[in-house]
Amino acid sequence: MHQVADVEVAKNIMDANKRLAEKNLKNLEEKGIFCVDFVGAIGSGKTTLIEEIIDNTDYNIGVIAGDVISKFDAERIESHNVPVAGLNTGKECHLDAHLVGHGLGDLPLDDLDMVIIENVGNLICPVDFELGSHMRIVVISVTEGDDTVEKHPIIFQTSDVIIINKIDLAEAVGADVDKMVADAKKLNPNVKIITSNLKEGNGLDEIIKVIEDKKERL
Amino acid sequence: MHELSMAQGIINAVLDTAEANNATEVNEVTVEVGRLAMINPEQLQFILGVLVENTIIEDAEIKFEEIPAEIDCSDCNFHGDAILDDSDHYAPIVRCPECDSLNVEILNGKDIVVKNIVIEKPDDS
Repeated sequence: MHQVADVEVAKNIMDANKRLAEKNLKNLEEKGIFCVDFVGAIGSGKTTLIEEIIDNTDYNIGVIAGDVISKFDAERIESHNVPVAGLNTGKECHLDAHLVGHGLGDLPLDDLDMVIIENVGNLICPVDFELGSHMRIVVISVTEGDDTVEKHPIIFQTSDVIIINKIDLAEAVGADVDKMVADAKKLNPNVKIITSNLKEGNGLDEIIKVIEDKKERL
Repeated sequence: MHELSMAQGIINAVLDTAEANNATEVNEVTVEVGRLAMINPEQLQFILGVLVENTIIEDAEIKFEEIPAEIDCSDCNFHGDAILDDSDHYAPIVRCPECDSLNVEILNGKDIVVKNIVIEKPDDS
C-alpha cells in the first residue's frame, strides 16, 4: 500500500547565489576593496573601458574577466600589468557569485583596493545573478541599434550607471543617441547616463569620476 | 537563457526532499517563478521534461505559479506589487501602480522557488 503526501520543499533556487554574493561582498569589505561589475552586450566596449580605467587611475586594480570559452579578454587586460582572473563559464551565459568567489580567490586581494568584474557579454541573464559588487555599470554601444535600451528594460532599471558608447559611429549606423539617452532616463529616472567614445577617450573622465564618487561614499 | 542550470537546481531540490521522505514516486511539483526572473517558463518546462527522465519525478505534473514584482516607489513611497507593463516585452517594465513612476526599487519577484511536491510513499515509512 502507498500513501500520498504533500510535502513542503520551500527551496529558493536563487538563494545559493545570493548567499555567495553576500559572502563575496563581505570578503571584499574586510579587505577594504571596492568592487564594480560591468555588464553589457558583446562588443559594447567593456574590455576597452576596463583597460582605460587601469591606465588612467592610480588604484591597485585586480580584474575578473568572464568569458564563455575564450581567454582573449583576460590576456588583453593582463598586458596592462594588473592581476587578472579569467573565468570561463563554459555553457553558461552569465557569471554567478560562485565563479566570482573562485576569481576572488585567484587575485592577490591584500594588494588591491579595487576589483573590476567583466561579465559575459549579455544584456539578459546577468540580471538574475548578483555577484557581490558595490556597483553595477551597464555598457552598450550605438552599433547595437538605438532600440537596445527599450528592448532590455530590466538591466537598465537595475544598474547604477548606464554608458552609451561608440557615439562617434552613431551617424554611420543610423542610431539616434538622444533616443537612447531618453529611453534610459525614462526607465531609470535617477540613473547616471554617460555617452562616450572610449576609443578616443571621450567620456572616460566622467566614468572614472562616477566610480570614485561611489567608492568615496562607502 | 539559463533555464538548464535553474532546472537542475529544481530537480535536485525535488529529489532531496523526495528521498528524505522515502518517496517512491513524485506526482506533482509546484514551482514559483518570479515575474522578473529572466526565465521563460515554457523553456524551463521543456528542460525539466528532459531532466526528469528515468527518475521518480518522470511522471510528475509540474505546475508553475507566478511571484509578483514587489516594489518600493521612490517617488510616492508606495509599497506593494508593481504594475508590469509587458505590452511589448516578455521582460516587463516595472511601474508604480499609484503614481506610474518607473523610479522604483525592486524588492521581490526575481526568485525561483520549489514550493511543494506531492509524493507517494509506502504506508509504513
